[in-house]
Amino acid sequence: MKISINWLKEYLDINIFPEKLVDEMNNIGLLVDQWEEKDGDVILELETYANRPDTLGHLGVAREIAASQGIPLKDQKFPVVEGDENISDVFDVQVLEEDLCPRYCGMIIKGFNNGPSPPWLIKRIQAMGLSPVNHVVDVTNYVLFSTAQPIHAFDLSKLSGDKIIVRKAMKGEELKVLGGESIQLSNDMLVIADEKKPLALAGVVGGEETAVTDESKDIFIESACFDPVSIRKTWKEAGIQTDASYRFERGTDISFPPEAARMVASLLTKEGGKALKGLVDIYPKPRKVRTVVLRHHRVSQLLGIEIEEEFIADLLKRMGFQVENQNEGIWRVQVPHFRVDLEREADLIEEIARFYGYDKIPSHLPVFQGINLEVNKRKNIEDRIRELLFHEGFDEVVNYSFMDTNKEKLFKTSSEAIEIRNPVSSKASLLRTTLLEGLLGNIVWNINRGAEGIHAFEIGNIFYQNEGKCFERYSLGMVTMGQLDPVFWQKEPEKSDFFHLKGTCEELLRHLKFDEFSFTKEENSFFEGNYSLSLSFKGEKIGILGQMKQSIVDAYSIEESVWAAEINLGSLLEKQPKPFEYIPVSRYPGIVRDVSFISDRDISYQEIKDCIEKLNIPYLEDYVLYDRFTGKEIPGEKISLSFRFVFRHPEKTLLAEEADSFQDKIIQALNTEFGLKLRGGGQD
Amino acid sequence: MVDLIKKIKVLRSNFDEGVAQVEDKESLQELRNTYLSRKKGRITLLLKEMKNVSPEEKPEVGKKINEFKIHVQQKLDELDREIEKPKYKGSQIDLTLPGKQRYRGAPHPILKYKKRIEQIFLSMGFSIEDGPEIETDYYNFGALNFPPHHPARDDWDTLYLTDDLLLRTHTSPVQIRVMEKKKPPIRMINPGKVYRRETPDPTHIPMFYQVEGLVVDFGITFAHLKGTLEHFLKALYHEKIKIRFRPSYFPFTEPSAEVDIECTVCRGEESKCRVCGGGGWIEILGAGMVDPQVLKNVNIDPEKYSGFAFGMGIDRTAMFSFRIPDLRNFYENDLRFIRQFS
Repeated sequence: MKISINWLKEYLDINIFPEKLVDEMNNIGLLVDQWEEKDGDVILELETYANRPDTLGHLGVAREIAASQGIPLKDQKFPVVEGDENISDVFDVQVLEEDLCPRYCGMIIKGFNNGPSPPWLIKRIQAMGLSPVNHVVDVTNYVLFSTAQPIHAFDLSKLSGDKIIVRKAMKGEELKVLGGESIQLSNDMLVIADEKKPLALAGVVGGEETAVTDESKDIFIESACFDPVSIRKTWKEAGIQTDASYRFERGTDISFPPEAARMVASLLTKEGGKALKGLVDIYPKPRKVRTVVLRHHRVSQLLGIEIEEEFIADLLKRMGFQVENQNEGIWRVQVPHFRVDLEREADLIEEIARFYGYDKIPSHLPVFQGINLEVNKRKNIEDRIRELLFHEGFDEVVNYSFMDTNKEKLFKTSSEAIEIRNPVSSKASLLRTTLLEGLLGNIVWNINRGAEGIHAFEIGNIFYQNEGKCFERYSLGMVTMGQLDPVFWQKEPEKSDFFHLKGTCEELLRHLKFDEFSFTKEENSFFEGNYSLSLSFKGEKIGILGQMKQSIVDAYSIEESVWAAEINLGSLLEKQPKPFEYIPVSRYPGIVRDVSFISDRDISYQEIKDCIEKLNIPYLEDYVLYDRFTGKEIPGEKISLSFRFVFRHPEKTLLAEEADSFQDKIIQALNTEFGLKLRGGGQD
Repeated sequence: MVDLIKKIKVLRSNFDEGVAQVEDKESLQELRNTYLSRKKGRITLLLKEMKNVSPEEKPEVGKKINEFKIHVQQKLDELDREIEKPKYKGSQIDLTLPGKQRYRGAPHPILKYKKRIEQIFLSMGFSIEDGPEIETDYYNFGALNFPPHHPARDDWDTLYLTDDLLLRTHTSPVQIRVMEKKKPPIRMINPGKVYRRETPDPTHIPMFYQVEGLVVDFGITFAHLKGTLEHFLKALYHEKIKIRFRPSYFPFTEPSAEVDIECTVCRGEESKCRVCGGGGWIEILGAGMVDPQVLKNVNIDPEKYSGFAFGMGIDRTAMFSFRIPDLRNFYENDLRFIRQFS
């Protein structure tokens, strides 16, 4: 809202530097974004709040400044030049929708010589950033920007009959609005009509046909109060937001329409024409002013400072409120209708704080009572994952949670995507169903900017719907491609591959103490069939990893292989990690046994691992696959697998015979289960 | 006898000279043979001369010879180890060549900043809470005292999924969720993503991070709100930062405030400052005393308890702190950008 300082001076005797005024306005919450000097005036750009429609006019702003400075508002008089006829004898207003139009005032001016506005008025209109239209229209706008009461003027000669009817639109009715566009009316819209048809969309926009033009002589002035919600629904449906609807939807001063009408009549008849005597005022259910009880002790309880009773009573009076001392320390405050926002004690306490000055309220740290500081599991796991992945050389990214339908089709995620009803753009019309889409985008961006190794992760939600319900799943996505280290003069850097990614996943789960994980070969829509695993914890699937499908990387024009994983952290969070328990370090020597097997190729490592673990061999401290090869010396479709087993007893030196028996047990089991045979006679 | 002791002395200094001249394995072996050869080694020869020493002097001479022998053995072993080492001699390898680098992952700057904020509040004894990004109209607006069809909703441009479901436009719904679940005293923050229907430009993006804070207890006042936020902002920026509280409006707080800090770029001294627009202040936080209606909505008696709440945009704050001109930089995920924050 633009505020002109010269205009304010119509209401206030102030002589103050704009810098100082802006400062003082800021202190009471009238935030001036910027201001400029213009034609001997200073125009302030005021940020207004949805609960303060009174500040959408100069009068309201002047009231605030008056209260803060302790100066009175100027008393303004609006004498009207009247003719002999009574308006009630010649004109009628009928309000059929009292709830939607609780008050309707009208005045009639006859014989006005319309045309361009006088210079003072043109200045005011221009100060608001508008162009003058004609004298009558400019006066209605002047009153709106002055008092925040919207006014509409009709060319009386273009009405059919001597009657205004405020009613709901009927089905099929149309209205050609100011500016010429025709809109279809629906029957929950409130219209101002004559006996034949709608003339205006009440409180939103006037009709073209009854608009006041330079030739207009007889004018009907409308000054009314409409229901905010109805106005809001109407302008939204019609798609027309105006200065009038902006004020009505926030709430206007129901006591003010008669005065505003007289103001218009006064400003016009001063220049010519005469008003009919009296004023139509349809106000079937006059509203009482609100009474709010304010307790002095609550002020200090909420603000944390003792503010004197005298200051409070004085301030409220300065603000134009009636204050009655009900009991010691208790006031009954009557809030005038221009403050639609003040309903409760807390609202009044805010007023006191505002004018007392937020800067004068002290700063204290509260004495904190102990609270139950539960560990936030999600934050905990997130911090640990990040730490580990940074260590593994993965950079962290954050992508928007949106996805476009083409990408959705490309990835063919198994879950159904959630659509956004009013997306920012068609490229962001869905919520992402996978983190990998964004991560691939990051790869492209960075390859195009010369990156040679990209290892990145994102932790965030993916979204899907199931049977009409929307879900979010807290997930981790990882991608890795290209060189693993920066170039080094001594040797070529290694390249990322599947086992680099898998190793990272294994590290991660071990680090989080979810040791009971396993991998299974399983196809899915993201990965190449021969490079695709599912990851499970205690038999429940929690993630996938593999090589991104050729068709997908092609769509992104990525030429190298991309290795990717997506893990469902939400379901991991529901699981219990292995509780940490310290294991004493054994002081006794261990026995190391290297064993090489000949195995069929189609037996997976995971199967062998599961088999060994099921045996629950005592004192098997660790085992590791240290070699795997095929070659001339290995017959047919077989491979050689070499394991190193470490056996150790915590409390004594393990005997070789004991180690032998454990080792035999393993060999036996692997032989029975999978037909694994010792290579070259066994132990080397 | 005196002769023999003198001889040992001379031999020792000869040996030490020899040590200094060893260059490789061969010369080392030669030196070893000269002194320790079982047949003609100097020490063997010395021992042979022992027979000419009188019995009472034998212990002393023997001791001297033994000491010398240990000295020789130690030196030779030392030399041996040194020569065995595959070392780059200073003269052969350029030690100023670059060392081996490894990729170290870097945190995303916003999440790094978020962590900093969390740590300050953790140190003040706040808990960290979570909430969903898909919210209902009730939690995002209704429970927070936004009347239906109120223009205040226009300040929060909303992305809708259904009539009732939306992407949360602020982290404030978590206030409601936490108060429904826990009873006072409550002292929590919730950092997280929020969404607005905005076309990306340098100062607007459709998704960003906010941190919400809430304190509810007996006797919480506006002075506590000021004290807590000043403490936080001083910890986040620096001890002497200027902070200003201005009246504002949020449907869910009463009284409401906006908090500005002095412009860290121009300190109010440049009329065309890119960051503060010349005003010298940067709007950084929205805050206020929890509206009594909000407390009633979660069955907390506003006559008994009071509280304050605040919300801050993490992206915007990080943008000022790191002097990043364009919010979109954060979501391009250019690794050259991110790696600066490691």
